[in-house]
Amino acid sequence: MIERMLLALLFLIGFWGIVGIRNIIKKIFGLTIINNAVVILFILEGSRIGNQVPILEEGIENIVDPVPQALMLTAIVIGVCITALALALAFRLYRHSGTFDIDQIHRQVHDVT
Amino acid sequence: MRSKITGLFLFQVFLCLVTITLVLIPLFWTDIPWPTIARDHMENFGMAASGARNMVSAIYLGYRVFDTLGETIVLLVAVSGTIGIIAHGGDVLAKGFGDPSRNESLYQEKTTLVKKQRTALLEVVTGKLGPVVLVFGFYVMLFGHLSPGGGFQGGVVVASGIVFLALGGRADGSTRLTEAGVLAKLESISFLLLILASLSGVVFGGGFFANTLAQAGMPEVGFIVLLNAIIGLKVGAGIGFMCIAMLGRAE
Amino acid sequence: MVIVFLVLLIILSAYTLVTRDLLYGVIALSAISLLSALLFYLLHAPDVAITEAAVGAGVSTVIFVWAIRATERFSPQDRPEKRNGSKGGKQ
Repeated sequence: MIERMLLALLFLIGFWGIVGIRNIIKKIFGLTIINNAVVILFILEGSRIGNQVPILEEGIENIVDPVPQALMLTAIVIGVCITALALALAFRLYRHSGTFDIDQIHRQVHDVT
Repeated sequence: MRSKITGLFLFQVFLCLVTITLVLIPLFWTDIPWPTIARDHMENFGMAASGARNMVSAIYLGYRVFDTLGETIVLLVAVSGTIGIIAHGGDVLAKGFGDPSRNESLYQEKTTLVKKQRTALLEVVTGKLGPVVLVFGFYVMLFGHLSPGGGFQGGVVVASGIVFLALGGRADGSTRLTEAGVLAKLESISFLLLILASLSGVVFGGGFFANTLAQAGMPEVGFIVLLNAIIGLKVGAGIGFMCIAMLGRAE
Repeated sequence: MVIVFLVLLIILSAYTLVTRDLLYGVIALSAISLLSALLFYLLHAPDVAITEAAVGAGVSTVIFVWAIRATERFSPQDRPEKRNGSKGGKQ
């Protein structure tokens, strides 16, 4: 219960970083934080039904659920791909506009058109 | 006028909070236990079906191997897209890693900048630590069916070892592992091997990603080890390429 | 135990978003990744812990530091009065 609320708070902090802060690099920080919150939520929920690592040695039973762990392995990889692509796009935007501020970029686009 | 706008804004914030509360409180208060059916199936039949002791590896490379193929393709596209987008935008990649048709003199000034920032400590520590990290990466990669680890994790550790070698090695060093052409070829060959390994089941009458090594009489787990090694090489070469292109390299 | 880790993660992520020096933000982000890796180890998920430690503290830090070195390090905005001014100018 209280872990879920704290994770929702972490997710909302990342969401605030995406929508409420005007620096593009900080928006990408927000993406990373949201990714992290989702991964922690899945691992936490999957570990509620057991108390052993899912590596089947002799005499191991009552393992945790390995399915969310395998899913979140993929999610972390996709997260770092998203980060790399977003930073490359932010770099190109900086080269063209000279700033990371989303309002100034918007104003420049408005002036051109 | 401003106070009116502020009041409207506060009202909107209030509405958002009410909506969030109404939606999220039932989610937080639910007491439905996590389903145990997948866990029980894996605990009873997982090792017999895949041969691996590490159940996460068994799912990652056995039950959900299509997912892994898609993830590998996403990683390839992300690395090549990142390098492509950056290489058209300026002169910030290491020499030889960007667009080869660009003027090379642009790169020169950046690499001397990198050289000026290096210290003896960085050179000695990273140069001596690089091979050890590489060996540990191969251990994590090849024993992923028995212990925590696997192709992707080992690949990232191998990439760190390659970056260490690139930061600490001399220009006339004994390794060519940090050059752009070698890394790109390694990644392409690994991806070709992955496609061939996935198609080999079709040739021998199984399905896509069928376990051909088990049909040939070898132990069941051999296919997972093979896929781990291929994916590890591919991920290590790809991420190492991206990191060296961004960090610069000893000249 | 988990709650302590989560509170630390929330404090670090808030610091990441409010600090003006982007390099401090990157270091706090890699600290978030390391704390998450410890949390995954405590929750019996060593595979995810290895991945998170290698990717979050290694690769993504390298990419972020490259991006900040190639562009600019400080973010001088995020002041509310400037935002109000721009909003008033539009009307």
